[in-house]
Amino acid sequence: MAMLARRMRPLERSLVRLLGRERVLHSPDALLAWECDGFTVHRRRPRAVVLPESTDEVQAVVRALHDASVPFVPRGAGTCLSGGPTANADAVVVDLARMRKVLQISTEDLFAVVQPGVVNLDLTAAVHHLGLHYAPDPSSQSVCTIGGNFAENSGGPHCFKYGMTVDHVLGALVVLPDGSLARLGDAAGARAPHGLDLTGLFCGSEGTFAIATEITVRLCRDQEAVRTLLASFPTMAAACRTVSDVVAAGLLPAALEILDQATIRAVEASVYRAGYPADAAAVLLVELDGPTEVVAEEAAEVMAVFARHGALHREEASSPADRKRLWKGRKGAFGAMGRLNTDLYVLDGVVPRTRLEEALERIAAIGRKHGVVLTNVFHAGDGNLHPNISFDGRDADQTARTIAAGREILQLCVDLGGSVTGEHGIGSEKLEHVAMMYGPADLDVMARVRRAWNPRDLCNPGKVLPQRSSCAEVAKWPQMVARVLDEEHG
Amino acid sequence: MNGVARPANAAELAELLRSKSGPVRLRGNGSRADRVPPAATGTIAIELRNLATIDRLDAADFTCSVDAGLDRSTLDDELAARGVELPCAGAGTLGGLFASDPIGATMFGGASPRSLLLGLEGVLADGTRFRSGARVVKSVAGFDVHRLLVGSHGTLFAATRLHLRLRARPRAAAWFRNDALDEAGARTLFVALRGLAVPPAALHWRRDARGHTVAGCIAGRANHVAATMRAHHLREGAPFVDLHLQRTPGGEVLGGIVLPSRVPALLAAAPPDAPFLVHGGGRFEIGLSSPAESDAFVAAAPRVPCEACILLGEPARRRRGTPIDPGQSRIAAELKRALDPDGILV
Repeated sequence: MAMLARRMRPLERSLVRLLGRERVLHSPDALLAWECDGFTVHRRRPRAVVLPESTDEVQAVVRALHDASVPFVPRGAGTCLSGGPTANADAVVVDLARMRKVLQISTEDLFAVVQPGVVNLDLTAAVHHLGLHYAPDPSSQSVCTIGGNFAENSGGPHCFKYGMTVDHVLGALVVLPDGSLARLGDAAGARAPHGLDLTGLFCGSEGTFAIATEITVRLCRDQEAVRTLLASFPTMAAACRTVSDVVAAGLLPAALEILDQATIRAVEASVYRAGYPADAAAVLLVELDGPTEVVAEEAAEVMAVFARHGALHREEASSPADRKRLWKGRKGAFGAMGRLNTDLYVLDGVVPRTRLEEALERIAAIGRKHGVVLTNVFHAGDGNLHPNISFDGRDADQTARTIAAGREILQLCVDLGGSVTGEHGIGSEKLEHVAMMYGPADLDVMARVRRAWNPRDLCNPGKVLPQRSSCAEVAKWPQMVARVLDEEHG
Repeated sequence: MNGVARPANAAELAELLRSKSGPVRLRGNGSRADRVPPAATGTIAIELRNLATIDRLDAADFTCSVDAGLDRSTLDDELAARGVELPCAGAGTLGGLFASDPIGATMFGGASPRSLLLGLEGVLADGTRFRSGARVVKSVAGFDVHRLLVGSHGTLFAATRLHLRLRARPRAAAWFRNDALDEAGARTLFVALRGLAVPPAALHWRRDARGHTVAGCIAGRANHVAATMRAHHLREGAPFVDLHLQRTPGGEVLGGIVLPSRVPALLAAAPPDAPFLVHGGGRFEIGLSSPAESDAFVAAAPRVPCEACILLGEPARRRRGTPIDPGQSRIAAELKRALDPDGILV
């Protein structure tokens, strides 16, 4: 520790010289806001936080950290749900929230160049008057940043039709872990004919390859018409079969979202109240967009599918405000869970869409087995489940049961041919779970790829790929929570 | 080429690679051999055409898993019978198509090998077998090593099985071909169609001795197809199948990426009669009559700006082109060292 302290003082001084005193935070109180992201189980205050405002400043900071052999963690808004931007021991957080300029908008070529701290929804707001939007829309889009989305390959309700972040990023300027620059892709295309798809590889690397300081994204034209339909069902199975039939009919809705009964009740009892039928076992939200005549035909078809599957209640948003109301419940669902208990563990597994019904039955059984409160709200079109476990993190037994149930649910997703994460990433949360999908050889190949970018493992170490120490750390979650509680509650 | 080996399965391929110490060139059925640089003396070719099964076709989930040596046309027949399709252009073996990615997307934001590859099973040059990605349409678990297949031409690892995203076949489709356009008219139509909220399924702009042609395919519901054809005065035509330019004797074909707004500058940088083709996704090809013309075009490319390289030409000149960003080149070289440290795959 003494050695660390000796090393830290000169580093701090050099960071202050680069950015000024106001943009280098290092006192323990000042660091509190950076001790975790949306995955609150893993908390650790970073060694310091720096707030650069340009590519040059990021380069200078990274060079200083590289020269001092100090690890660093890029961070956007900190809304990640897997601990990705939470610092491991001795790491400095490079917070990119002040880099929030939209640098270029091309209406003819349909792209924008943005700094990483631009908030997702702000980009759409910036191009709304041009009849354009940025398509990926994670639930946290009003606060999460494009840089964070790029690092995590974020999804959202509308990625069923429009694709994930990787399908919308054309290129990036990145600061490599030694402080040098690399330009990936181009506004004209993510890959030149004589190049590799490094933009695609980088997207979803969770800040472990380099730091993106400029991101070129594709813009989409606004659709002529948008219609939002809602149906409630007596069983979850009926809702899932409806989704399958809508897709089998060759329809491609912009979104297909399901909320289960417990979620509906939590939403309806919260400030996110949307008027969902509280007696339904499931609510299905379908959004259609496109040319007016096409959407009208599709809406009629979807309504017919609703009826065929015994929908209890069918409605269509009658105005933009009404549409907003129907979405309010879905977008606020995670917030509404706060009513159920003090803590929420948001899972993020994927199964083939055709196995949703089976998956949900077995997830319910896992919940019963472990005696945990489980709710489901999910992207049904993609088979991307978000089972949510509400628990009291002050209770070590509840926490342990929560973690055991979560592990079993993710194993189920893998057993059904799916994935342990569809959009939240591995971060520090799923270091153990990633081995459910990949064997040692697969993980070794991934580690080789990371070393090509980040040979000294200075950039966000201890994330994505399990290491001996981090596996042990995950296995000790209950103890970690207990320790955090000890610190918090004295 | 110092012999051709055709393993029957992934295990045989892994064993073959483990036992080789000299250079190896991976290929599907060799249909794109004229697009890669020459192999050094002593190089052995490994063809994957015998890895040709459809492991899994889940039409309801819009996914399938296929061997890399499977021919595209065989898969297309199976998919059509189930009402789904692999929505990208290109022929040959699927491994070859994805490793070479010769066309990219036929429409801005459209599907391409890059967006359709969900995961893969592969073999490193040292014979290590590995997996990357997933079989489902959405996964962010681990690093997407499979994305390195696209455009690698098999120089980083061998893909033995691909997990692919599919989509429902459109209810209606109409091919169009508006020809005898001048450059300004072609550009206006190309940009207008590319910018539609529901863009065409395919879009191409071609210049040849007969003038400029904008062609493509409108797909979707019948009323949408008819309305789009009407609104843009599109004339029905035969499907556009000439997705590449042919090389003339002594000439070269260059390929690259360019923004639509820069196409006029690109054409200005080339001889006025040079055949030209650009796809809606941004890839272009230009036919030049001599290496000297190619070199002049490459030298002018940064002013367009565009990135380009020689696709078809004398073997030693293939893939020469505009310089790649030094940082990007460095990472590409590090990735090669990481995955194939002995430089076996060429």
